[in-house]
Amino acid sequence: MADAGQDLGELLARVALADRAAFERLYSVQGAKLFGLCLRLLKDRREAEDALQDVFVKIWMNADRYVPAVASPAAWLNAVTRNLCLDRLRRRKGGEVGVEALEDLPAEAPGPETAAIRASEGRQIETCLDRLDNARAEAVRRAYVEGESYLELAERFAVPLNTMRSWLRRSLISLRECLEG
Amino acid sequence: MSGLTQDDIALAGEYVLGTLPGPERLTMTRRIATDPDFAREVARWESRFDPLAAEVTPVAPPARLWSGVEARVFGRPQQAGFGLWRWLAGASGLSVAFLAALLTLGQPLLPARGPMLVSDMVSTDGTVRLAALYDSETGEMRVSVGGKAPAPGRDFELWVIAGEATPISLGVMPRQGQAAMPIPEAIRPMLAEAVLAITEEPLGGSPEGVATGPLVAKAALRRI
Repeated sequence: MADAGQDLGELLARVALADRAAFERLYSVQGAKLFGLCLRLLKDRREAEDALQDVFVKIWMNADRYVPAVASPAAWLNAVTRNLCLDRLRRRKGGEVGVEALEDLPAEAPGPETAAIRASEGRQIETCLDRLDNARAEAVRRAYVEGESYLELAERFAVPLNTMRSWLRRSLISLRECLEG
Repeated sequence: MSGLTQDDIALAGEYVLGTLPGPERLTMTRRIATDPDFAREVARWESRFDPLAAEVTPVAPPARLWSGVEARVFGRPQQAGFGLWRWLAGASGLSVAFLAALLTLGQPLLPARGPMLVSDMVSTDGTVRLAALYDSETGEMRVSVGGKAPAPGRDFELWVIAGEATPISLGVMPRQGQAAMPIPEAIRPMLAEAVLAITEEPLGGSPEGVATGPLVAKAALRRI
């Protein structure tokens, strides 16, 4: 994994210098990962395809803004992707999802490989999430992975909107203490 | 150390989780652009939560998607030139026609050269539109003026403003159409963080070297 991270960093640096071949390589290396994120957040294949194109246009234009000291290359790419998808999600009026669109989505269970990644890199956040009340940890996960809004979370956990928000805000503060402490 | 409150830290986390409603999300986007401490906290949350993305199953995007990305970023190869304009237009928010006017001046540009800065200015009354494109490789600013010409006996003068410093003149703009203005070496490093402004000055430009006339338009230079 360390090598893959280094490769990604190098690819990003070359993309920042407008290296077209590096850009194409970056797409072939990370495209599926980022498309998976788009699908999971947007739950609409057509929109996820549009979003992924936006993501790569943005990567091409903003690669020079990536700061290695602040985030790993993969984390930066994920953040660019999530942000564009979340902007789209929050612009939607109702956030309704067609049943047809949902059928195409990949299975949610992590494969052996992703489970292994979680076990290493993800251990810290997982450990800290485990210290939270189950429902609260689940709310954080659903927000991050599924892009659920406060409204959707409040409905899912059958609590008032404001309660949901203060749950989540308190969870964030606990998580930060746990992660930085 | 940052001066962020517990509340700010939670807000940054909410932004990264994506739970904030549209308008609030937009406010945070603006804050990220202007508040470095807040932006850093957002970046930290992005890294903290990033391992959770590992549970998302990769899905191969359809093959046609890459050609879509290529078309948007590089343009169509058989239409040499147009693709670049479209790329620049996409990157800068300028109209293709307007950029085309800028770029037909002088030799063709390639995106792989040094960084380029662009500024698009529209006068407050909307009657004058000016664009500037700076190529760090050549040290040349190409400017293009459209719409209403300056009043008789007056000229538009271009200024660069870096931070709080007094505006420095870059010269008199063409009354209409395009011109290439060489930028003095000493000014070049300031451009990345600078604002361009146009004032209306006596014919031939301000005699004092200091802006005297009314401000016509002002806009930051953006990197593309």
